[in-house]
Amino acid sequence: MLDFMDNVQNAFYEVSHWNVDNSYGALNATARALLDFHTPKGLRLQISSLAAPNFATSYTLGSVGVVDGSVSYLYSSLPLKQEFRSSHLELHRVIGGYRTLQELRRPDEHWWWEVWHNGARIDRRVDTLLYGRIFLPQSTLEALYLRRLSPTRQLKITAVSDSTLNNGGTILALLQNDVGKYSTEYMYSTDSALMGVRGLYNFGTDPRVEPAAPAGAQELVEPVHGRFSAGAELYYGLLNKSGGISTGLRFTTLPNHTGFPYTMTLTLNPLMGNLSSTYAVKAGSNLALCSRFDFNFYSYESELQLGCELWRRRHNTDVDWAAKKVRADWKRPTVAPDDDVSGILKARVDQNWRIGVLWEGRIKEMLFTLGASLDLRKREQIFRGVGIELQYSS
Amino acid sequence: MAFNFNWSPLIADTSRARDMLTAALNKSPKPPIIVDDILVNELNLGTTPPELEILEIGDLAEDRFRGIFKMSYAGDAFLTLKTKVQANPLNTYLSTKPSFASPQPLAASAGLTIPLQITLSDIRLSGFVILVFSKQKGITLVFRNDPLESLKVSSTFDSIPFVRDYLQKEIEGQLRVLFMEDLPAIIHRLSLRLWSDEYQEETEERLDATEDTVKPIDPLASPPQDAVDAFGNPLDPSEISALSLDSSEIHASFSQKNILRLAALSESQRTLSLFTPSIREAVFRAWASHDRPDSGANTPGLTQSSLSRIQSTFGSMKSNTSSIVSGSSGNETLATRPSLVSANSAPAGLGLGSNRSRAGPMRKRKKRVINLRRDGGESSGVSTEASTPLPSTNVSETASVIPEEREREEELTTPPKSPEKAGLRPGNSEPSRHLDNETAALSNNLLPAMPNTLLPAAPILSHPPKPSKSKSQQPPNIPPPITEEPSNEPHPTSSSHRRPPLRSTHHPTSPLLRSLSFDKISTLSSSSGTKNPLSPSAESSASSSNGGILEQAWMLKMAMEIARKVGEEKERASALPTPPMPRRRSEKRSGGGMWVQQQEEEGVGEAPPAYRA
Repeated sequence: MLDFMDNVQNAFYEVSHWNVDNSYGALNATARALLDFHTPKGLRLQISSLAAPNFATSYTLGSVGVVDGSVSYLYSSLPLKQEFRSSHLELHRVIGGYRTLQELRRPDEHWWWEVWHNGARIDRRVDTLLYGRIFLPQSTLEALYLRRLSPTRQLKITAVSDSTLNNGGTILALLQNDVGKYSTEYMYSTDSALMGVRGLYNFGTDPRVEPAAPAGAQELVEPVHGRFSAGAELYYGLLNKSGGISTGLRFTTLPNHTGFPYTMTLTLNPLMGNLSSTYAVKAGSNLALCSRFDFNFYSYESELQLGCELWRRRHNTDVDWAAKKVRADWKRPTVAPDDDVSGILKARVDQNWRIGVLWEGRIKEMLFTLGASLDLRKREQIFRGVGIELQYSS
Repeated sequence: MAFNFNWSPLIADTSRARDMLTAALNKSPKPPIIVDDILVNELNLGTTPPELEILEIGDLAEDRFRGIFKMSYAGDAFLTLKTKVQANPLNTYLSTKPSFASPQPLAASAGLTIPLQITLSDIRLSGFVILVFSKQKGITLVFRNDPLESLKVSSTFDSIPFVRDYLQKEIEGQLRVLFMEDLPAIIHRLSLRLWSDEYQEETEERLDATEDTVKPIDPLASPPQDAVDAFGNPLDPSEISALSLDSSEIHASFSQKNILRLAALSESQRTLSLFTPSIREAVFRAWASHDRPDSGANTPGLTQSSLSRIQSTFGSMKSNTSSIVSGSSGNETLATRPSLVSANSAPAGLGLGSNRSRAGPMRKRKKRVINLRRDGGESSGVSTEASTPLPSTNVSETASVIPEEREREEELTTPPKSPEKAGLRPGNSEPSRHLDNETAALSNNLLPAMPNTLLPAAPILSHPPKPSKSKSQQPPNIPPPITEEPSNEPHPTSSSHRRPPLRSTHHPTSPLLRSLSFDKISTLSSSSGTKNPLSPSAESSASSSNGGILEQAWMLKMAMEIARKVGEEKERASALPTPPMPRRRSEKRSGGGMWVQQQEEEGVGEAPPAYRA
């Protein structure tokens, strides 16, 4: 389940019209959400609040052996109007599952961001997000500075200060450009002076180009059912003289696809000989399945992972007959969205019989995450970790 | 002192050690590049055992032991490890970084695990080991410093220099951790697990070995002393040559030092009881450490820095002679002095090598010791003490009686001392050599060794003046004028000739010494009278059966010390009557026990020529 602060940041992206999915780093976001989800360990409590539209606070208390916690604050120059109360939160927003990519939207025009007063441009809207989090016993500090430099550009600086790290911390600067048709990212990390470049190119129509006026009624614009994207990344550490490279392809269906949505990715690391393919499918409104196959043609090692996401909804037998009678698009009045969701089950298993199970949902006004990781190969200690996370936000 | 431990059984069973090593290697947090368990594939301890040198024994009893060793290893042991390493540097780099500020590459950090086989060989270790043994708590072994000197790492990636260097570095680091932290734990667990009867025997054997080795050590320890003594005197290196030419001056200065040293020795002897094994060990240790330092004291101006260092240590020792046994001072001397170290390590190595052959005799000896103790407790000790000189002499004269093994032993132990002593002044070296030789001869019947030790010394003494040279080669009781002829005789025959003169000085004129040792001497003399009737043959048989070699040796040492002191006193007075050499000698040959009588007859105040200036 997504952290409250991550949720707020996503809301900021949304408000500032930044497409998070249009990045090479998010090429296989669906597979990661379905296969690499984090299983909690121990007990963890989070109390958060969006006290003002621009200001959010969050407190976390955890007990894994020792009691630890974190305090985080977030400031956004853009007022965030979404619903963040845990009692009224849309579960889809915080539960990362199958990601249905939307149509690429045209980037904002520059003049949209200009602030005019009395016929003169007095300012440009530059949205900023500041975020800080301190982990108390460890005295680790995380900081994030996010700035929308322009409608197509964003600067993200993340820093971690920790005495256990080399030089006491590390800073990563990330400059992202997204024009819809393609996106590029440049990064620099102070740790070992790592430099990186990432790029993603979307085949198909360019959203920046205005669709030509319908030449004729008979010429129907063929709806786009899917999108094919290709990207690559390149890293080089100046200090340790080591680098990395990878390329990737993705095909995903778009919302107007008539069949069930699916996403396929193929990534290749030519240096290390690693080939990874994922296939995720949303088999229904409540079910998503995903598989990943890794193969290394240097070491001939292979790995297979399977995962699923299942939304379990309550059925009120008293009114079932009535629901069948009403029209399909009739909206049932509910107190909270996804009120009928009793829980979401996520599970993954790999070829070594390592199993991860997650049960998420909402009880009263609390969001809960119950997770366990198991290893069936090791009989003496099957449960590798069990944990529960509770979130409350107001 | 040296340990005697079996190396071959250690070689035979390495499976358990392998398992434990595997567990230990996987326990500590591994570097991120190692992505799988480290499996110890092959472990071979090699055929060369490590060399252990005892620096200090803090506590020694039947059921406990505490000591400090200097360990050096340059054997052919090797170790083969199997594991899997992450070949993607980006992967290992990112795995240690917080994810918040990580670039989070999509696939560039995909892992490539490569099976890796590492062979560690040419391991060179050198360090100080603290060993604590207790029957209840097992063995605790701790390295005081980082023992790893060098190591050769050969792996699958030897062709890639970068990887090879990296592995070398990483593995050295891991091994250091292993030696400093994990190995003590492993050994402790092993010792607890091996707590069976067999294991107990082993430990007992080990204890025995330490007791046994005391004797060989003494002769070894003394040579350095002799060597130092010979150059003696607080003189500059430049003066040494002049001093060596001017023998009389040297002797004068030398005797003073000797008296100091002897006083310290007697002090230490008085304070320690002789009849418990641990303390007896301590006494020996004191001997060893004491001899060395005071040898250093005699040669303060030696050219070699090592020697000067010795002297400094001795200064501290002099101040508190009774505490000479304390490990720290002994440690320093050993550690700082290369020559001594080598000499001491040699017996240890030899002991290890000849371990199996010696196992039988050692046990016998141990039993004997026990018997003796009982005897001593029951009787006044007259019989045992009196008999000591006789059996030894008898055995020496009848060299054929001596078993092969013993001969070998002595040969092994004795040679190091002779070269050490060789370069130094012969006159001064005599007493100590006598002590050592006699103790060795008495305890182990090492008589044949005597010629060996003496002969090599002769050629090296090129410069010293004639009188001193003759002294060195001759038994001390032979007066300088007469020496030329008879001097050569005694060496090949036996050490018995030399012994009498020392004994003859048992009744010293100097009041100080007499007060210290008078009771012993009296017992000796009285007992000698009783012993005389015994025929040599009977004595030899008795000696072979008699187990009190250690005690006898010790007694002899005492006696000789006294004799030395007396001699030095005489030297001081610089009035030296020549001892009646011929008569004594004839008596000697007639019977070993005769010398005691001679003492009485000859009268006390005579010092062997060796002690005279």
